[in-house]
Amino acid sequence: MIFELNGKNVSFEAIPSLTLLDLLRNEFGLTSVKKGCDQGECGACTVLLDGMPVNSCLILSPQVEGKRVTTIDGLSENPLMIELRDAFMENGAVQCGFCTPGMLLSSYSLLRDNRNPTEEEVKMAIEGNICRCTGYVKIIEAVLDAAVRIGPD
Amino acid sequence: MKINLKTFVLPFQYNVDKSLEYYKILEKLLNRNEYFVVGKNLIRSDALDKCLGKANFTADYLSKESLIVKVFRSCKSHAIIKNIETSRAMNIPGIEAIITARDIPGINQIGYALPDQPLLNDTKVHYIGDPIALICAQNEEAAQKAEESILIEYEELKSVFDISAALNPDSPLIHTDGNVAVTTKIRKGNIEKGFKNSNVIIEDTYWSPYQEHMCLETDGAYAFPDGTNKITVICESQSPHLVREKVAAILGWKLNQVRIIQALTGGAFGKKDDTGPILAAYAALSAKTLGKPSACIYDRIEMFKTTPKRFPAKFIYKSGADKNGNLTAIQVYITLECGAYANRAPFWLWRQTAHAAGPYEVDNVAVDGRAVYTNNVYGGSFRGFGNLALHFAVEQQIDKLAYELCMDPLDFRLKNVLKVGSRTTCDQILDHSVGIEKCLKSIEDASKWKEKRVPIKNGNTLKGWGIGCAYHGNSTSRSTPDWSAASLLMNIDGSFIYRTGICELGQGSPFGHVKIVAEILGANIESIKIEIPDTDSTPDSKPTHGSRGLMMGGTAAADAAIQLREKIIKIAAEMLDCSLKLVECKESYAYNKENLNKKIPFNEIAEELHIRGLNPGAYGFYASPKRNYDEETGLGINYSVYTFASTIAEVEVDTETGEISVLKIWPSMDVGKAIDPIIIEGQIHGALSQGIGFTLMENVQLHNGNILNPSFKDYIVPSAFDTPEVDDPILIEEAYKHSAFGVKGVGEPSIISIVPAIVNAIYHATGIRFNTLPITAERMHKALKEVKK
Ligand code: FES
Ligand code: FES
Repeated sequence: MIFELNGKNVSFEAIPSLTLLDLLRNEFGLTSVKKGCDQGECGACTVLLDGMPVNSCLILSPQVEGKRVTTIDGLSENPLMIELRDAFMENGAVQCGFCTPGMLLSSYSLLRDNRNPTEEEVKMAIEGNICRCTGYVKIIEAVLDAAVRIGPD
Repeated sequence: MKINLKTFVLPFQYNVDKSLEYYKILEKLLNRNEYFVVGKNLIRSDALDKCLGKANFTADYLSKESLIVKVFRSCKSHAIIKNIETSRAMNIPGIEAIITARDIPGINQIGYALPDQPLLNDTKVHYIGDPIALICAQNEEAAQKAEESILIEYEELKSVFDISAALNPDSPLIHTDGNVAVTTKIRKGNIEKGFKNSNVIIEDTYWSPYQEHMCLETDGAYAFPDGTNKITVICESQSPHLVREKVAAILGWKLNQVRIIQALTGGAFGKKDDTGPILAAYAALSAKTLGKPSACIYDRIEMFKTTPKRFPAKFIYKSGADKNGNLTAIQVYITLECGAYANRAPFWLWRQTAHAAGPYEVDNVAVDGRAVYTNNVYGGSFRGFGNLALHFAVEQQIDKLAYELCMDPLDFRLKNVLKVGSRTTCDQILDHSVGIEKCLKSIEDASKWKEKRVPIKNGNTLKGWGIGCAYHGNSTSRSTPDWSAASLLMNIDGSFIYRTGICELGQGSPFGHVKIVAEILGANIESIKIEIPDTDSTPDSKPTHGSRGLMMGGTAAADAAIQLREKIIKIAAEMLDCSLKLVECKESYAYNKENLNKKIPFNEIAEELHIRGLNPGAYGFYASPKRNYDEETGLGINYSVYTFASTIAEVEVDTETGEISVLKIWPSMDVGKAIDPIIIEGQIHGALSQGIGFTLMENVQLHNGNILNPSFKDYIVPSAFDTPEVDDPILIEEAYKHSAFGVKGVGEPSIISIVPAIVNAIYHATGIRFNTLPITAERMHKALKEVKK
């Protein structure tokens, strides 16, 4: 079966019980997608599926047939992601970094659709992404800062 | 640039001034009055890779061929093992080996403080989840089948699930020497006299429960053979050298046959100090036995159910004060629950004992502590290390005394806090670096405390404000020798390699070291690369715990940098043809302060170093000043230095639902010297969040030794919505004489004072005291009903 991974069409042999998370990590070597619980509860495995953030540990690999999967690796040159990343780094929003790829993807998806979010909206967007290190303060600041950097349009 | 080699006298004479007090490096050694990088907010060197998803954690290193090491565990909480039957499991296709205690070539012992903990049990099990065998399998399915096929014949013993049952004379013995693993004691002044001179006395009992770390990354280790007689393990720990020592002992090998590489670590908070050696030993045993790469990676449930948690503890307090508001006497009985093994209990209990009076001067103190085994999951290191629970109790005692004396809780604290010249719980005289008074005053102003002394009722909500203080001895205590090491290498192109065994766990300590190094060398920060700890090349810096990573490790880094700087300056002076005193280094150039046009890049200096056959490296070593301790009384110079903190919290209680919201927090901390303010703020924010979790929501549910809620779904940790407004942390800088630029540890102290601040604020709002945690909405609701609020 075929799907789009970070802008390229890829194919793999469908294994019904294999999660998208394990598929990405083990078959495609995309270790940026982290496994924190494998139960859909921590957000470390967040990827974009047709642009929307999902927990890849809850998706079975056959479900992505014909779909678009984006990991942090696919957005390294993306202008919005670059702003967001810089805001994370400059605001001290990165500590251990285990939640960071997922956190950036959830925030990216927010800012892509809403360039001027309120603090509540930021919290809502990252509610499913657990961070045990930062207490979220600087992450929230970073996302709001990124919104200022990218401006209204 | 040509240099006349004859002008050089070899060997080099280094004039590192051994009497240099490290906090004076700037003025005395660098002859400057401004910092280049220290105290500035810089982007951490590891941030970009982490943002790009290119940072590698243990599981990211695994090869596809690696075997799965699965731990077979006890389903009984207390039982004798009569027989272990593995032959059926061995015959399952895909199973390469089942390793039990008798297959361990070295010593089957992993206990940290006491030798009470076998790596694999073959005679007895002590809690549900105790390890018995390692299943080494080619795939997950085979491992699971094998797990179902191993048969253990148990003779069940009566289990003990709480400390009072364990202390009952008829209680079954969990370990042979009795259920009390260790005791502690302090006798200072005259406790009877102290209470006689008290006008008010408060007595109460407190219980601080388990807390799970919930590091986002689960535990893991990946081992592979390195030739025939060596094993390399990539893992997460807090001391790669401790892991090496433990793994070598278990394999029956020399230290140089084991190589530990510390992967980046997805949060540790103490957990990995305990689990690091264990998982590394599992993976290494498989790799050695089978000669194949082997990985042991826990899933969330296994990690939650079987690994150490914050030790629970019970405190019985009696505190007295006179009518003028001076503390007169404090008596404490501490009972620590070890769970199945002592692990860090002796150190944890001692820390509680040694801090039992809180950050206050009290002349008469008596403390008795004991650590008790039960058949619950065992306790272990966790941020705050005993002091979180201790301050939860002592800071409520202080609050109660203040209210009893009709004094403002902040004023009462100010009257009694430790000052320069004060004596601690252990009668240690503090001669400098005591910033608690400044901490308190700074947040008193920032929060406008005096205007907030009346709780506010607004419809269904009650709002109140509370305060908490904390002190935390840095690094080891009693007379345990304490030292750290680091190495620094100047490459021929003028770039540097920095090696420390202090681990990057998210806290950013190694980056702090590099800032210290860059400051001393006058090097570009980007030119210094931090190597991940590797016991084959990294010096033993001792563990990354006890808030010592920057205080100790960073001072060893300074020592290395000072040595290398001497060489750089000497060569630069020759090359610039000026006196040593006139040489200044900045941004990886050396120049003559009186002739700024002449400057030499570090690459040319590095080349000269090599050409002249001078050692381009430096090994930094730093040892704490000597301390002493009297076993009889527990008195002495315990910790080299203390970090102080205080926090004010504003909370709102919904009287309909019992829901408690922390609305705003004002934190302050005496950090000695802020090497990187933004990193310190990050530590404070993360700690506040963990503290809020511990106080209001995190609840390890145990039933007969079984953990009932081992997941993020059922064990609720704070999410983004639980983030209160946090005022800019106020950093007080009361420098510590013996550390680089005066730095003190912040990682642990940052979590301690938030817990009592919230609990005291809840009291202020509702008039209700809670002596156990967490204070969930249900408990609050029930308590409000009882007092009819
Ligand atoms: S690993 Fe998927 S949500 Fe935690
Ligand atoms: S930075 Fe460690 S979990 Fe978020």
